Amino acid sequence: MGARGTTFTETMTGSVCLDGESEQRPIRLDLVVRTDEVLQPHRTTDCVLTGRVRIAGWADDHEATGEMEISPLARRRIRYRLDFTAQGRRYSLDGWKSISPARPVKSMTVLPFVLQRDGEQAAKGTLRFSIATQLLPFLASFRFPRADDSERHLPPRWDGKPGRTEVWYTTVTDPSTGTGLWLHHELVAPTDGSDAYAHGWVARFPADGEGPVEHARFGPQPWKPMPAPHQQGFTSDGIEAGPGQLRGKAGPFSWEMAEHPDGEPLYTFPRWSWRRPLLPAAQIVPAPNASYTGTFSYDGGELQLKGAPGATARIYGHGNARRWSWLHADLGGGDVLEIVAAVSMRPGLRKLPPLVFLRLRKNGRTWPRRAERSALGWAGAGRFRARIGLPTWSVTGRSGLRRIKVVVTQPEERTLALDYKDPDGSAAVCRNSETADARILLERWWGRWRTEAEWSLDGTAHAEVGDR
Amino acid sequence: MSDRLGGLVAALLADDGSKPWPGAVPRRLDNVLGSMPVPARAGVRAAAAAVDAYAMVRTGRRLRSLTPDERETVLASLAGRSSLLPVLDAVKVPVMLAAGTERMIHEEPQAALSMKPPEDPPLDCTSSVEWPDRSTADAVVIGSGAGGAIAARELARAGMRVVVLEEGRRHTTAEFGRRAPLDRFAELYRDGGGTVALGNPPVVLPVGRAVGGTTVVNSGTCYRTPDHVLARWRDSFGLDLADADSYAGCLDEVERTIQVDSAPMDVLGSNGRKALLGAERLGWEAAPLRRNATGCKGSCQCVVGCPTGAKQSVQLSVLPDACSAGARIVTSAYVRRILVERDRPGGPQACGVAVRRPDGSELEILSPLVVVAAGALQSPPLLRRSGLGGHPQLGRNLAIHPAASVAGRFAEPVTAWKGVLQSVGVEELHSEGILIEATAGPPGMGSFVLPGVGRALREELDGAASLATLGAMIADLPSGRVLGARQTLLRYDLAKRDGRRLMRAIEAMGEVLFAAGAEEVLTGIAAAPKARSQRELVEMLGGLTAKQLHLSAFHPTGTVALGSDPQTAPADPEGRLRGVRGVLVTDGSALPSCPEVNPQVTIMATALAVTRAVAAAS
Repeated sequence: MGARGTTFTETMTGSVCLDGESEQRPIRLDLVVRTDEVLQPHRTTDCVLTGRVRIAGWADDHEATGEMEISPLARRRIRYRLDFTAQGRRYSLDGWKSISPARPVKSMTVLPFVLQRDGEQAAKGTLRFSIATQLLPFLASFRFPRADDSERHLPPRWDGKPGRTEVWYTTVTDPSTGTGLWLHHELVAPTDGSDAYAHGWVARFPADGEGPVEHARFGPQPWKPMPAPHQQGFTSDGIEAGPGQLRGKAGPFSWEMAEHPDGEPLYTFPRWSWRRPLLPAAQIVPAPNASYTGTFSYDGGELQLKGAPGATARIYGHGNARRWSWLHADLGGGDVLEIVAAVSMRPGLRKLPPLVFLRLRKNGRTWPRRAERSALGWAGAGRFRARIGLPTWSVTGRSGLRRIKVVVTQPEERTLALDYKDPDGSAAVCRNSETADARILLERWWGRWRTEAEWSLDGTAHAEVGDR
Repeated sequence: MSDRLGGLVAALLADDGSKPWPGAVPRRLDNVLGSMPVPARAGVRAAAAAVDAYAMVRTGRRLRSLTPDERETVLASLAGRSSLLPVLDAVKVPVMLAAGTERMIHEEPQAALSMKPPEDPPLDCTSSVEWPDRSTADAVVIGSGAGGAIAARELARAGMRVVVLEEGRRHTTAEFGRRAPLDRFAELYRDGGGTVALGNPPVVLPVGRAVGGTTVVNSGTCYRTPDHVLARWRDSFGLDLADADSYAGCLDEVERTIQVDSAPMDVLGSNGRKALLGAERLGWEAAPLRRNATGCKGSCQCVVGCPTGAKQSVQLSVLPDACSAGARIVTSAYVRRILVERDRPGGPQACGVAVRRPDGSELEILSPLVVVAAGALQSPPLLRRSGLGGHPQLGRNLAIHPAASVAGRFAEPVTAWKGVLQSVGVEELHSEGILIEATAGPPGMGSFVLPGVGRALREELDGAASLATLGAMIADLPSGRVLGARQTLLRYDLAKRDGRRLMRAIEAMGEVLFAAGAEEVLTGIAAAPKARSQRELVEMLGGLTAKQLHLSAFHPTGTVALGSDPQTAPADPEGRLRGVRGVLVTDGSALPSCPEVNPQVTIMATALAVTRAVAAAS
């Protein structure tokens, strides 16, 4: 797998003649093509296809999937294989453009194909790529995203310098009981140069009205780093937070969970700030759509988790902010909203209003495109705004043709207040709720503001507010 | 232009208007020429124009407007120049084809109509026009002849999805029964039967083009591969599959499949009986040939498709089994090239074929296995235009079994065209590389060229019923070469040794005919057309060379030879083409050297051995 992948979209239209029918039907393919490597025209690239197949009066499947082989020079072929459902049956479309140097345009735009059902031919037809209407959107759709793997963000980043803090924290909602879980693992390297230590806590947030929030701390223990290949996450005194698993015991709690990461890493802060720690701190969600299976025991009960949604996030930096708020909202269907609004401790910066880092991943695309957009706007103009408070805080902002309004409510009885300690010894208080409520309104400008999506999370949002 | 042809035909056949059939010959000749390749057509028409011009210069009028006597004079003066004889002979061949057919239609019309054709076994044939532009298969077989059919059957039986591609179309037995031989001739043969290997002498090399390949139009003679040939292939060429014991199993199965048996005496025909009689009187070894036509009715039309369905060509015997195992046949499909993926780890890999339809549009079939069985004359150009012709020996090593024929005139009628077309084999000289076979085609279609022009020729034609014809083919050195990529160009330079063998073969055939009671023997050589005794024949042949012979050949082999030596063999001993993965060779081109007998069974057995190994591995 290369450092970057390729994605693009392609739309083709044409006609298909079903076996047994004399008339042709219009057909349209809207495809999203993804591959883990940068597309190189002189080589063969295997891609994954997703998209929509429409055949007039016969099929409309939004969830077509398949494969594509792009090899215009080496094999002189661009092949499409797509499985979709029509009339309640599975069909597969198989066809390829056969590239000919003598007829470059025709051979690159005409796709003859057959439809097969159970290996038998069910139809044949031809699709065409319209250069007049589709070439520009096709070219504009090309992206070469970095190939990102959630696991590579899990090993410790601490390089031995004093005055650093590093966090692995996992928040989970058990859908069957409505219980929220918070597992916080922290490595602190004090500013005074004393030995680094590991500590953390675990908290259970029962659903509304089902009891008080409970928590237990573990550590501190001296940090014992292991050699690089073995150190894949947080490990301290029987408590582990590593790739694919979480286990430990603290006070009345014990847990053993398998983590199934899903989704591309979500860089809440600018990507560069995670790779080069120039900001006071940065946060990242390596797998924003993770699910958890296992057991979580507490005093008087045990939760059996089966594919419970949640996420593990990472923080690395100099310490906590002066004031901050955080939201992780699983919106369902792979969509997720992550917000960090913070006021820095740095002199000068602490006078600024909260910088809002808002990342909405919807239908596989992240908005705003750049993390700086919501925090800085255009030299401050148009930046997203946060009103940090309790029990309710909010974030609003507009970027491009979209605007968003997020209102988060952390009822006091479902909120846990904990004392934080920075590497320099200064204290902060965090008020966290893994059973918070959130209202999210996403609008799009089309002559006027029209609602694009609206989410209402009752007791399933993960949020916190911190101050000093 | 047809005026000129008409004049030439009238002159050659000495048409005096007494009989109606010569008048219909020019139109039929026009049809014959229409199916021939452009150079052959142009050559005949140029010769007709030249003869017409000669008549114009000599008499002031064109041939068409001359009286029969005047035409005879003009032609006689032309025939008097010995250097012009080969030209006249070349023009005579298509004229005799047309004349033979018209004569038969007019004088024996019931022969074409009296047969009740049987139903052919079903085949899954689809025209390329109906076939989708894009499809996939587990194996594509290029060519539906002897090698292709067996390969398709074996692979289909192994559970693979097989598509057979055939440039020609399907012809049914019923169709053969309905149409006149010459009408079928033009369609069943590539280039209308006018394929010629350039050389001195040139060799006519007709090959079939239909579902069933050349097996549709061959004589049906089925020899098992001689043991000494197999031993040579195993020992000199490193072919393990040619091991006599295991190969015998393949030969047995092929013989079972196509129902090989000795030609029945009751339909053998006078031609064959004359050969048997001659050999018996000489004390030579001879017997009715083993053929794949157990229910043969003696229609003598093998070379234009058996009208009774007795001959078990592969479209009647092997391809139905292949189709019932799931193979599909695409007809009118000219394979433009084999698709090759050159960026595969491990080297180039064949991945399918690009096929041209008759209307010029293309279709493609993707398949990890491509079986090349287009015939020894077509496989090398196909590989070249696919970029797979890099091996220096590809297209070389062409052996063709050059053949000559002679006729013997008997006092009594022989009517050679009634009975089995190729009936008796005289194997006395087989150890010298000469195989004599009593062969008589439908009128005009035999490879024997009647001597003379004008009235002399007409007399020969009218007396054709008393002629018995023998043919002899020789085991030749691989002296030929297939050139070209888009078009096939053949070159064949007869080796001196093979020239001597041919002269010896003619001498031997004369011996058989005289022994059978022939009054005279016609050599088919323009410079020395007749001999009335064996001594005269031997003396006559002493003054001739092989370059003066009318040669024809029917068994091209060896152009993509199998062999263990990578330097000399384009394909390995298991039949895989070298330099690419996924290409098998299973047609006549795979044979490492001349098989020395009619090669259908050998080709099929080799294809069986090659594809069985692949099917077992898959």
